[in-house]
Amino acid sequence: MIELQNIRKVFNEGLSSEYIALHDLTLAIAAHQVTVLKGPSGSGKTTLLSILGCMARPTAGRIVLAGREITSLPERFLTDIRRQTFGFIFQHYNLLKGISVIENVMLPAYPQGEPFSLLKKQAADLLKLFNLTHKAAAKVEWLSGGEAQRTAIARALVNQPEVIIADEPTAHLDTRLSREFMDIMRDFKAQGKTILIASHDPIVHESEVVDRVVQMRDGRIIDAGVI
Amino acid sequence: MFFNPGIIALFISSLLISGMVLYASFYGALILRYWDIKSGSETQLNLERRTYLISTIISYACVFQLCSFFLFIYTADTLHPFFTGAMCAVGSLNVNKWGFPTVILKTITFLLAGLWLIINFTDNRGFDYPLIKVKYLLLLIITPLILAETIMQSNYFLGLNPEVITSCCGSLFTADTKGVASEIVSLPRSVMEIAFYGTMMGALVLGAVFYRTGKMGYGFSAAISVTFLISIASFISFISIYFYELPTHHCPFCILQKEYGYIGYFLYLLLLAGGLTGMGVGLLMPFRQMPSLKETLPAIQKHLTLISVICYLSFTAIATFQIIFSNLKM
Amino acid sequence: MIKSIEKQRNIIDFTLSSLWRRKGKNLALLVVYTLVVFSLGSVMFFTQALKNEAAIILRGAPEIIVQKLVAGRHELIPMASAQTIRAIRGVEAVKDRLWGYYYDPIGRANYTLMVPEGMDLKENEIIVGAGISRVRQVFRGNALLLRTYDGRPISLFIKGILSPESELLSSDLILISATGFRRLFGVSGDDATDLTVTVLNKKEISTIAAKIVDKLPDARAITRDEILRTYDAVFDWRAGIMIAILAGAVLAFLIFAWDKAAGLSGEERREIGILKAIGWETADILQMKFWEGTIVSLSSFFLGVILAYFHIFYASATLFEPVLKGWSILYPEFRLTPFISGYQIAILFFFTVIPYTVATIIPAWRAATIDPDVIMRT
Repeated sequence: MIELQNIRKVFNEGLSSEYIALHDLTLAIAAHQVTVLKGPSGSGKTTLLSILGCMARPTAGRIVLAGREITSLPERFLTDIRRQTFGFIFQHYNLLKGISVIENVMLPAYPQGEPFSLLKKQAADLLKLFNLTHKAAAKVEWLSGGEAQRTAIARALVNQPEVIIADEPTAHLDTRLSREFMDIMRDFKAQGKTILIASHDPIVHESEVVDRVVQMRDGRIIDAGVI
Repeated sequence: MFFNPGIIALFISSLLISGMVLYASFYGALILRYWDIKSGSETQLNLERRTYLISTIISYACVFQLCSFFLFIYTADTLHPFFTGAMCAVGSLNVNKWGFPTVILKTITFLLAGLWLIINFTDNRGFDYPLIKVKYLLLLIITPLILAETIMQSNYFLGLNPEVITSCCGSLFTADTKGVASEIVSLPRSVMEIAFYGTMMGALVLGAVFYRTGKMGYGFSAAISVTFLISIASFISFISIYFYELPTHHCPFCILQKEYGYIGYFLYLLLLAGGLTGMGVGLLMPFRQMPSLKETLPAIQKHLTLISVICYLSFTAIATFQIIFSNLKM
Repeated sequence: MIKSIEKQRNIIDFTLSSLWRRKGKNLALLVVYTLVVFSLGSVMFFTQALKNEAAIILRGAPEIIVQKLVAGRHELIPMASAQTIRAIRGVEAVKDRLWGYYYDPIGRANYTLMVPEGMDLKENEIIVGAGISRVRQVFRGNALLLRTYDGRPISLFIKGILSPESELLSSDLILISATGFRRLFGVSGDDATDLTVTVLNKKEISTIAAKIVDKLPDARAITRDEILRTYDAVFDWRAGIMIAILAGAVLAFLIFAWDKAAGLSGEERREIGILKAIGWETADILQMKFWEGTIVSLSSFFLGVILAYFHIFYASATLFEPVLKGWSILYPEFRLTPFISGYQIAILFFFTVIPYTVATIIPAWRAATIDPDVIMRT
């Protein structure tokens, strides 16, 4: 589904603070599977995830998404593809403070140009799925940890993406909520979605939902895992 | 020198616009030099970020330039009481040699800025920024023109001497005096009428042809450009008199005054918008075969054609309506 | 097409809520912006209104005024000159005018004295303006005590007070009979202050003015058009000066606006980072910033214009009073005729909204080009 060929990512190129995040990486992510990127902090998991998710452009190398080369696409087009293909769940949830739960869920779809009322309905349906209907109008500051997590997941789904990307989703969760999270991922997999998770939590990479674990260290893949 | 608010406003806006396009040109030159869409280096990413800034700046510059065009003419109009012999903007503009050239240059820079925006819009639709070099070359042409216009406008205002006796539109736009204006007016009416309606029909028909078949793009664009100039000449020659209901009043600026319901602004806007979009069609023609634009460019051209045709049709309709129903019967 | 309208609608919705979330900072900006529009608008409305009043009044002014000059100063003109002028072809009528200034040590003010045309005043009768009435505390039926040119007291009987509507012009005016005038100022019957000339063919005014100067080399002939133009030029010039002075304030405002736009708080930066991460593109953020600027600009502009309008036309430019009053003792109470034109609004727009927009372009762009993966990296 997603192919990376000889990807290199360098920050502050040419300056004294030059930092190579990814060295000549080649990786192919299969569709409809749950792939986990495992490695210590500084291993480049997050950078790799952002490149896989079309959030950043590699300094060198090629990316092919569903057969189409997207390496040099301008931001405008890349973002359009990203919006429709990927749903992101961030480590700190990154919900917008000061606006309601339902508005937070609707936000990624604003630039798509759907009528506001239609958007609201879609968001409401999603909230229902995650038992958050009673909190639709609540400000995100008032949510519990579990509710915030479910809101973040609902937001990731609003554009009906094929791929879900999660960055350290269980980092701030207790065991119960972490297992709940993996259950939700199992449901997504059953629906045919592709899932990419970066995590060093054993609950995640030792879960039976996971199809493949890719090990990383210092910007390189040291174990590409079993496909 | 006059020190009224209108003049100060125009000075400020011209300086701002000049500053904006100079700034944009600097980065435009950088882009021309270092742009490489295939590269993922930080330089390239920075340049891509910069193009957003430059498009924003030029968009605003274009709008401000249009506003300043109308404000300039209106200010010239309010100044006419200070000059003996001046009855409207024409008199004020004639006080020194910078007046009319400033108006013409303002029109040209507005059209060029508008064309830039059309190219920019098209460029953004292509997934590899296909027109980026064209765009910034055009910018490097526009910038000196805008700077020249700022200088010309300053010279005009600084050279306003109320002692000079100038001519009003009545004496400028008559057949007896020398100059382009009187050449236009002294052409026999029937010739101008045929020229106007002829070129207008031609342009509209070509527009319809292009819209449906995609052929004759260059022809349509050329026709629109010619019609633009002929419409202005026609207005001076025979259309204006029906608005003024006076067979000797040919002035193109008096129509912007309150007495005529400010219809002048509307008419000129139609002409400018129609001319701009029509010229845009022609400008885009060479790029039809580019791989990243193959699908989107024809659609853009069709939209432009539609706008152009509607504008010119409206202009003709209003002019003809006025000719038929005016109190003046020739 | 519909899609892009819907998209703008969605973005505007978010922009409004975003502005509200930072109401402190945005309210401050709104207040300063409105003040700037208010100040500039007040100056422009005021000068335009005064120009209009002057134009209306001067419509009744004589077509040509002839005055005698001695060593460059205006002197009494002999009545005989009127004959010379009457002889010029094209002249319809010549009238003599008597008017002058009187300094009153009691009221410590200058009064303008004038002999009105077509009014029948007895030798001792006067009509005074409201300002004089206030300062000397004299009313209809009272006597006003003045001194003649040779120091003798003269008592003038007040027949009436001039109406409050005309205060702008008549506040310091005394209307007096010709005999009374000559007695007060010692002007002989052979002289007049100046002469007014009416002309048969209005197009010939300038030509006849030239002929008058030709026949009377020590006189100057002022045409009505010249007066109108001079007033216009002076008002324009004064407006220009005031605006130039306010330029400092506008500059400060622009720096303030730049600072507000560029100084994104950590919270704002985070918000934009999130938006970019969840799928908003640079152009979308730029559009949001555009709407932010537009909403703030339009609100401030409208509010500023409305406040300026009320200030000038309903509160009689109270805030300008200290500047205008100056040394004037007889400051008139006046209500200007409301006048507003698209041209003034356009100029105000050029002075305020355009510089504000330009000042915020680069800060807005910097905000919009925050990398989408910034959120993931922190």
